[in-house]
Amino acid sequence: MSDTSQTRQTSEIGESAETAATTTTTIGESDERVREEWRDHEFAGRAKLSVEDLNVYYGDDHALKDVSIDIPERSVTALIGPSGCGKSTFLRSLNRMNDRVSSARIEGSVRLDDEEIYQEGVNLVELRKRVGMVFQSPNPFPKSIRDNISYGPRKHGDLETGLLANLLGRSDEDERDQLVERCLRDAALWGEVNDRLDDNALGLSGGQQQRLCIARCLSVDPEVILMDEPASALDPIATAKIEDLIDDLSEEYTVVIVTHNMQQAARISDQTAVFLTGGELVEYDGTDKIFEDPESQRVEEYISGKFG
Amino acid sequence: MAGATQTELVSRDTSGTDAVAAVAVAISALLFGLSIVALADLVPITGSVAGVPTVSLLGTLLVLLGGTVMAFGVGSRLEAVSTTPDTTAGLVAGVAAGGLWLVVGSGIGSLLIGGLGAAVLGVLVGAVAFAATVLPREDLGSTVPIGAFPVLTGLVFLTGTLGPEWVFDLGWEQGASLTAAFVIPVATLFSAMVAGWAAAKAYGGFGARGRHLGAYTLVYLNALSIVAFLFVLVAFTVVKGVPGLLTGAQFGPGVGPSTTLGLFGVELSVRLPFSVPFVMNGVALLNDYQGVLPAIVGTVWLVVGAVLFAVPLGVGAAVFLTEYAERGRFTQAVEVATNGLWSTPSIVFGLFGFAFLVPRFGNGKSLLSGMITLGFMLLPLVLITSREAMLSVPDEYRDASAALGVNRWQTVRSVVLPAALPGVVTGVILGVGRIAGETAPILLTMAGGTFVPGGQTVDVIGGFEFTASPPFVANPELLQATSALPYQLFALITAGVGLGENVANADEFRWATALVLLVVVLSFYAIGIATRYYFRRKLRYE
Repeated sequence: MSDTSQTRQTSEIGESAETAATTTTTIGESDERVREEWRDHEFAGRAKLSVEDLNVYYGDDHALKDVSIDIPERSVTALIGPSGCGKSTFLRSLNRMNDRVSSARIEGSVRLDDEEIYQEGVNLVELRKRVGMVFQSPNPFPKSIRDNISYGPRKHGDLETGLLANLLGRSDEDERDQLVERCLRDAALWGEVNDRLDDNALGLSGGQQQRLCIARCLSVDPEVILMDEPASALDPIATAKIEDLIDDLSEEYTVVIVTHNMQQAARISDQTAVFLTGGELVEYDGTDKIFEDPESQRVEEYISGKFG
Repeated sequence: MAGATQTELVSRDTSGTDAVAAVAVAISALLFGLSIVALADLVPITGSVAGVPTVSLLGTLLVLLGGTVMAFGVGSRLEAVSTTPDTTAGLVAGVAAGGLWLVVGSGIGSLLIGGLGAAVLGVLVGAVAFAATVLPREDLGSTVPIGAFPVLTGLVFLTGTLGPEWVFDLGWEQGASLTAAFVIPVATLFSAMVAGWAAAKAYGGFGARGRHLGAYTLVYLNALSIVAFLFVLVAFTVVKGVPGLLTGAQFGPGVGPSTTLGLFGVELSVRLPFSVPFVMNGVALLNDYQGVLPAIVGTVWLVVGAVLFAVPLGVGAAVFLTEYAERGRFTQAVEVATNGLWSTPSIVFGLFGFAFLVPRFGNGKSLLSGMITLGFMLLPLVLITSREAMLSVPDEYRDASAALGVNRWQTVRSVVLPAALPGVVTGVILGVGRIAGETAPILLTMAGGTFVPGGQTVDVIGGFEFTASPPFVANPELLQATSALPYQLFALITAGVGLGENVANADEFRWATALVLLVVVLSFYAIGIATRYYFRRKLRYE
């Protein structure tokens, strides 16, 4: 995968550099102008998620303002920005987790494979199966490792286990064990836990718990994985493992990751969206472009650590 | 050196002097324990311990304790002992010593002078003690005035001023009096506590470390006294109740009533190797020994029925309130109603059961009415504690479940409820403790005669009958009036009726009933604790 993504990346950078050369005359132009430019920008991959004029309000608080963005499939998209800039809100509106906040109001459009997710009759179960989520702090259930992974499929009726299934002679224990092994392997955790699948997941270390949460998220076969600062509670070694994992996952899945850590965004993402205070998406482009030659003065200042 | 705050980083070897202070702490702990067992009547005040009269033993130990504490303080002031005292013992210690001696002073004054003079003497003594605590350096101030108190108490015991036969008639119209059996342990307890405080300070070498140890000793004794109170209560009941419980009891092969054991179709009739008539018999005219079996069985079924009624309702309501309902007027109304229900006096519940349930269930007092009435009483506590338990389940679990596309009910059932179970069980334990001892509702809704013959022991399981016509299943046993231990105890004590000539000692019979009630309640408690432990183990990674 890395080969193709590299090529894509270079071509993108070439393109955007050209555009920049022809259109950008002065530094410090209004952000509005910059935004006009990257809106017209085309990414190589097909848009998995396309967001148009998304506005989110929490009561009277306008948390996200007119965000439009196309997220290409099978790539890593990083969302960076200072605290309170709305990047987590944006992430949570991609699988309608904001519906769980009673004061939240959402306007605009989010399309998953050209299907609007904010319309009547959307099946939230199906949506969240296709758009999975990993949270900031590792949150495994207080159950065994095996039960953590098989939880989703069992609740969706894809796996039948337990006493009744045994009695009726249609227990899916083999399928379950295969699923558990596959998810744990995909999450690079199998080697560390395969001899204690019946142990409580809370006995794992923080980094292992987070990889277990990723494995749990994989268990329902998602297409998109949303990650909300997945490594912020972890030490550098665990963080490196998660980052490697994200790189592997992007071969098969579309990954959207919120991070506070700009180096992390630069290391793992193919494209980066920068949110700045007030819930505005200021710039969105290839990661190299954003970190080497951002269009917006404010983004440059943010990246170089002058504020935020 | 006065007021010195500088201490060595590594203290010199003080093991010798530390040992003296440690002995003082140990004596106060010993006295604390002794006074507790004396309060529980396990060690008779009038008797003796190991050949020494109890009062003399306590007095000697007290004098020894106070003397050690005072000697340590004086030694420290004379620089014979290496300590790090502050310049003053502080206001708190001053007020404590002053208050203590004010009470002692006015007490002595009222015995010797009486009237206003007593008050003047009290204030005077208190003021001297306050000054003696606050003015000298900490090592003197925090030991001498406090240490003098156990010395005085001990001397009072030793000189026989307050002997085993001492009675203090308060001279009130109720004819109230204080006896030595109560005053001596309490005075010892109190002296041991304050002297233990001073001894702990001395052990820490005064100063910041000493105050830390002093405070630690006090709060530790507070915690210990909770255990001690339970111990006193249980021990008192056991000591009084065991003779009655074992009246006519026989142990050995073939003495007990025969029981049929059925296993794999083979029925085996065995005679139990023990016979305890008190818990195996009912009351009957011709019994050799009377017993309380119907009341025991009644209490057990009562609690089981109330729990079966209240737990599903309470947990269900808690799920609705925490997981489904938006916070608003309705949830507030439910909250207010719940708290109101919990504060409602039990006799009101009983009256409700009597007026509302009894006429509807066969128009007679019945086990079923009692179960439901107590279930109503249990409901609010189960609801409140279940709700707290569910609120303390982290939202991360719910988020994680929702992000997997799992709907709310499945999340509640598979994640929230298992995580909340230990809390729910705690609530049920607390509630069972309360309802198992309720007397008033039983009196009004369930109790038949004061004494129920053994033949009327309810047999709820065996009572189910299946019929061909609706309601298809019936259980007359549930509609039968029966007895329960708290009610039986109440009847025994207040009414004093129903005991035939067969009960030789009515007092023993009462205490034995109380003991059995205590054992039944504690058994439910133990079951609850074991359940909670099991669920907690499952949730954690041990």
